[in-house]
Amino acid sequence: MLATEAAMQHSYDHLQVALSVLIAVAASYAALDLAERVTATSGRVRAAWLAGGATAMGIGIWSMHYAGMLAFHLPVPVSYYWPGVLGSLLVGVVYSLSALFVVSRPEMGTLRTFLGGVILGCGIAALHYISMAAMRMAAMMRFDFGLVALSVVFAILFSLAALWLALHFRREAKDQITLKICAAAVMGAAICAMHYTGMAAADFFPSSTPPDMSHAVSISSVGTLAIAAVTLVLLALAVLTCYISRQFEAYARQLQKLNQQLEHHVEQRTAALEETRSELARMSRIATMGELAATIAHEINQPLAAVVTNSSAALRWLAGQPPNLQEARQALNRSIGEANRASEVITRIRALFKKATPELSQLDVNELIREVLRLAGSELVKAGVAVHTNLANDIPAVLADRVQMQQVLLNLIMNSIDAMSAVNDRPRELWISSAADAEEVSVTVEDSGVGIDVEAAERIFGSFYTTKPHGIGMGLAISRSIIEGHGGRLWAEPRSPHGAAFRFTLSRAGNRHE
Amino acid sequence: MSKPESTVFVIDDDASIRESLKSLIRSVGLHAELFGSVQEFLEHKPADVPSCLVLDVRLPGISGLNFQNQLAQSNIPIPLIFITGHGDIPMSVRAMKAGAVEFLTKPFRDQDLLDAIEVALQKDRLRRQQEVEKSDLKLKYESLTPREREVFPLVISGRLNKQIAAELETSETTVKVHRSQLMKKMGADSLADLVRMAEKLGISP
Repeated sequence: MLATEAAMQHSYDHLQVALSVLIAVAASYAALDLAERVTATSGRVRAAWLAGGATAMGIGIWSMHYAGMLAFHLPVPVSYYWPGVLGSLLVGVVYSLSALFVVSRPEMGTLRTFLGGVILGCGIAALHYISMAAMRMAAMMRFDFGLVALSVVFAILFSLAALWLALHFRREAKDQITLKICAAAVMGAAICAMHYTGMAAADFFPSSTPPDMSHAVSISSVGTLAIAAVTLVLLALAVLTCYISRQFEAYARQLQKLNQQLEHHVEQRTAALEETRSELARMSRIATMGELAATIAHEINQPLAAVVTNSSAALRWLAGQPPNLQEARQALNRSIGEANRASEVITRIRALFKKATPELSQLDVNELIREVLRLAGSELVKAGVAVHTNLANDIPAVLADRVQMQQVLLNLIMNSIDAMSAVNDRPRELWISSAADAEEVSVTVEDSGVGIDVEAAERIFGSFYTTKPHGIGMGLAISRSIIEGHGGRLWAEPRSPHGAAFRFTLSRAGNRHE
Repeated sequence: MSKPESTVFVIDDDASIRESLKSLIRSVGLHAELFGSVQEFLEHKPADVPSCLVLDVRLPGISGLNFQNQLAQSNIPIPLIFITGHGDIPMSVRAMKAGAVEFLTKPFRDQDLLDAIEVALQKDRLRRQQEVEKSDLKLKYESLTPREREVFPLVISGRLNKQIAAELETSETTVKVHRSQLMKKMGADSLADLVRMAEKLGISP
């Protein structure tokens, strides 16, 4: 009986159709945007993006469906069973949630993408048919199963396309808005195709049975517009949130980049500073020595000049005819006085070195060696010297002046570097070792340089003895006076087969008697 | 104490150096006067005899090299001999360019210093002699009458009496008298002599 009845005439409100298409495209755009965000985040932020995104997207798709259904006009009034409406919304949100979840997975195989597409397609079809089932009217629905199947196929194809696009976008196009809009348009069109195929699959026949209007609501055109507006606003908000989040992320990235640059700069500066510092230390060492030498030279030179002049004068007085013995005697007496004065200057300088009272503290010589090697690091590298350390464990502390000890050790290392500067036929090597016995702690600095012979081993500690073109020959003299000031000894020995060894000893902190 | 024939001034802040220099200078029969600083030297009124100055580059207050400039600016033409404990080449070049006689590094050979002193005193003597000659010439020049002074440049330009007379619009005889007076008063034996004198006086034909 029913089959013979003519189907009800129906029409579409084109404006509302257009609105549904707009919502579909907007929802697709939001979906693509959200998928990208979900992928880019992790942890709780990601969960928040998933929840918020799924809600916005779900409402978007749901709203598209209802806009599409409301564009469909039947000659009888249509109401909706609201639990069904709500159920379809829930399906929309769950569908969106799973969609977003799937596309934000780190790895997606082909099979997985395919399965995801099928499941999501079924989900979207379910949303559609649940919402159709929620229709309440004085009519009966009959479906053309061919078209129903086609709509489900469309849903699945659409989902696959959507997944593919989403996966494509999360990998590449970060800022290609035009491309994204195109993709959204394709997706939106697919959703609409599915929807309107689904609608076409249904035929409506008049029914005398009054519809079950319990829990049914009528949705007016104003309501449609309101739903559409709210949905669009919601989707716009979602897109805006995505945009802001992306901007923040871009800022964060930029900040991180700037931070890295800054750190890099700081590192460079620090290195430069370190170099300057060690250079400065070296220069000030040289400058101090140079000044000292100039002062000593002047202090000694003055009386020396007087001695020479007085003696010359005495000779001239004696050479006179007749010789002036009194003048000669006076001149010679002055000579003696001046010679004594020169000697006093030397005594005073020696006293000056001795007088520098060291500031004694408990010192770990191993720590000292490491410190000084750090100080001399750039010099050693520049000179191409390989450093080997052999530091004894549990070395007892010594009571010594840290700065003076650094000076001594640095001086020995610098000497070694200089001694190896002419060495090209063998490796330039520096060995520094520490050792301790019951009484003393000793430090040895050895090198593979030009070495010293046995006679020179003592002479090199004299003042102004130097083998270097620019040295003034005070380094070892001062070093020895420092070590002896600490009650220790400093000496040198030849090293076989090449080089020299310098060793100094210091009393253990508990054993110093003075 | 009679006025010495010449004086060697010594400025050095080191008393022992000063004393030794004095002994050395005196041993060759020269007179020496000692000062500890430039200030002391300037306050002293030196006798007007040939002299030279032996000074250290490094002095308290003003340095020896700056003092050299100061003397040059004040037009005090005393010859200088520098002695220094730490001389370098630029320093000695500067001193020699500014007219120093010698630049010696302590300790120096006694003979080097005495030679330098001899050169310096000789230089001063010569300068003084020239100075005397010049002031003598000036006196002579001042004794000339205005007309004779007018004739002077014309004579040394080699003009004949006739030409001078024409120029001054006077008779040749008058010019002849002026010329002989000029030669006599200036003590010039020949025209060439007069030209040399004019040069020293800064008179150009």
